[in-house]
Amino acid sequence: MTTVQQAPAGAPPPAVRERGRRGGPLRRVPPLVWVFLLVPLAVELFWVFWPALNSFSLSFTSWKGVGAAEPVGLENYQRLAADPVFGTALRNNVIWVAGFGGLSVIGGLALAVALNRPGRGVGFYRSAIYLPMVISLAVTGLFWRVMYQPDGPIDAGLGAVGLDWLQRQWLADPDTALYAVLVAAVWRQVGYIMVLYLAGLKGTDPTLEEAAAVDGANAWQRFWRIVMPQLRGVNTVVFAVTVIDSLRTFDIVWAMTRGGPYNTTQLLSTYMFQQGFTLVNLGYGSAIAVVIFLLAIAFIITYLVRQARAEEG
Amino acid sequence: MSTAMSRTALSRTGMSRTGLSRRGFLLGAASLGAIPILSSCVGSGSGEGPAASGGGATTLTLQSSIQDAGPKAALEKVVGGFTGPQTTLNSVATEQFRAQLSTYLSSATPPDVLAWYAGSVANTYAAEGLLLDVSDLWAPGGACAGFSDALRALSTSSDGKAIFVPTSYYWWSIFYKKSAFAEWGVRPPTTWDDFIALCDDLKARGIHPLTNGIGSTAWMSAGWFDYLNLRINGAEYHRALLAGQHSFEDPQVTAVLEQYARLIPYFHPNQTSWDAQQAVTPMVNNEAAMYLVGAFCVQYFPQDQQDDLDFFSVPTIDPAVPTAEEAPTDGFFAAANSQNPEGAKELLSYLASAPAQQQYITDSGSSNLPTSPDVDTSGFSPLVQKGIQLLNSTAEITQFFNRDSSDALQTTADAALTQFIADPSDIRGVQRQWQQAAQQVFSS
Repeated sequence: MTTVQQAPAGAPPPAVRERGRRGGPLRRVPPLVWVFLLVPLAVELFWVFWPALNSFSLSFTSWKGVGAAEPVGLENYQRLAADPVFGTALRNNVIWVAGFGGLSVIGGLALAVALNRPGRGVGFYRSAIYLPMVISLAVTGLFWRVMYQPDGPIDAGLGAVGLDWLQRQWLADPDTALYAVLVAAVWRQVGYIMVLYLAGLKGTDPTLEEAAAVDGANAWQRFWRIVMPQLRGVNTVVFAVTVIDSLRTFDIVWAMTRGGPYNTTQLLSTYMFQQGFTLVNLGYGSAIAVVIFLLAIAFIITYLVRQARAEEG
Repeated sequence: MSTAMSRTALSRTGMSRTGLSRRGFLLGAASLGAIPILSSCVGSGSGEGPAASGGGATTLTLQSSIQDAGPKAALEKVVGGFTGPQTTLNSVATEQFRAQLSTYLSSATPPDVLAWYAGSVANTYAAEGLLLDVSDLWAPGGACAGFSDALRALSTSSDGKAIFVPTSYYWWSIFYKKSAFAEWGVRPPTTWDDFIALCDDLKARGIHPLTNGIGSTAWMSAGWFDYLNLRINGAEYHRALLAGQHSFEDPQVTAVLEQYARLIPYFHPNQTSWDAQQAVTPMVNNEAAMYLVGAFCVQYFPQDQQDDLDFFSVPTIDPAVPTAEEAPTDGFFAAANSQNPEGAKELLSYLASAPAQQQYITDSGSSNLPTSPDVDTSGFSPLVQKGIQLLNSTAEITQFFNRDSSDALQTTADAALTQFIADPSDIRGVQRQWQQAAQQVFSS
């Protein structure tokens, strides 16, 4: 996320560029603009880049938080490669990005399309679906932990409709725990994606759709051929938001399972936290943080490159 | 610490939705900025820690991680009665306390007195020179002078200085309800075979013989491991194993896990979802019979059932092995960098004094035992009296898995044991993985 923000600081800032276009080639930037540019840059350098670099250097050390950090070269990374829990966390992160991203985008888009028409109670439904967003992830986690409890509402509900064979200890069963947390996270995220798409749908041109309908296109064709292309801008935003959100997921997993049972729901972020802050292996934790950083930056660079191309074209 | 770490921290503070707004980002960065700076300072400045602490401060800070309602209120009351320097009591969530303990201790203005555990954790910090030498409290005439030799040994660091002031401890045992046993017409077993027979008997009647809570408190699974190891291999082997002198792949550990596997069918199946406190529920409802747990469990029971509780020690498996019990010791240590070391010692002496211990134990309602021999225990409940007797009669005392080793080794035990409980068929495989994880801990 930080890097998305950093981009304008390095490249010419959009605001300046726009003014430049309107007011002709702008050679002399007023000093006030420089102040507005340089102060945030200094803040970012000091509070973002410097600690980040610190983390890189920490990842080549072994440090217990007390005394001097002892340099160990690449040992932390070699340990990571052989660490089965890190492997699980990496695999879970892939599942998480795909599941969390896929389900919340599909769900959010479907809800947005369904609720993008005037009707009784549409406003109520929209607010109801967006409401979970207001609750913090930690509270969401606690709430869903109660739902998933043995003999809790979910098991009781399954029993009431005769699906007893589906009852299980959702968060304690390694086969279901990660997906149980995923459902809780998607429950919260879906309203947010819905709002983004609703905004996008408001910006589409209804006459195009009417024209297509007159030409005999059915609803499915109208959606995919007429509406979707107009949502391209929103899609890019949703993509970025979703990838970033899923890579930094931490709180809900920590609140619901703490990475358990026996590390089967560990994500990179929770494993990093456990190593870095519960066990105070700050060097090893930093190495995991560096891996998360590299993964995130790979996604973000792809996103920036795509956006730059879109602006050129 | 790092951008990646800040990122998770951001979403924790609920800023995640402002992901693309610059203002939101700056707000987040501003609020988080302090964290990397603080921790980096620790990294670079740790060498110059205890520079000049002439002791000008006149107030004291006591940092505690006690979160259970009864003990927390009791400690507040005890500290309120302290007549020395004005003392502020900070209660911090246990998880956060554990994570930041090293930062607290190495800071230039640390909390003066901290509530934590005796044993390996305290000794690790003592070895770093972060704990105040409180040997004068243990010298004749000091507040701890009359404490037992076992406690003295436990509170002494490797260089012979006393660094810990134990104020209470508790025992582990198999707890049960007298009324429930009477209703079912069963008696506490005295031998291991009796115990297994009792479990079979109860199970046949549709009662879950054992309960436990290894969900969010996975460390509870180590209680049975500790006791089986103590009963089968003895305390000496147990301590050496936890210190890394034996391998978890040893045949001795195999024997322990084989016994543990025998017990698994007797546990309430919901144990994997519960925590230590929730595990009490089936006992309250007479759906489960026995619970191997520390005496702190008493406060989890409804008031009207607390007098109904009784316990028996885990029965002997091999009569040749000396008796041993787990008795985790709680107490306080002071930071070496304290601005007010004399005040800190005064507070420690007060906390160790018999009246303060007595008040704490009475008010907290969690069946702790006093460390001071001067506490009048005659007013304590019969359960606590029995606990004192149990610990006085045992040959060996251990603490608990994490306190005898480290929190890092405890996480390896959590993973290995919960996995083993879910699928006990591959004992050798569990041992191999456990040893690999443990090796990482000992080598790091």
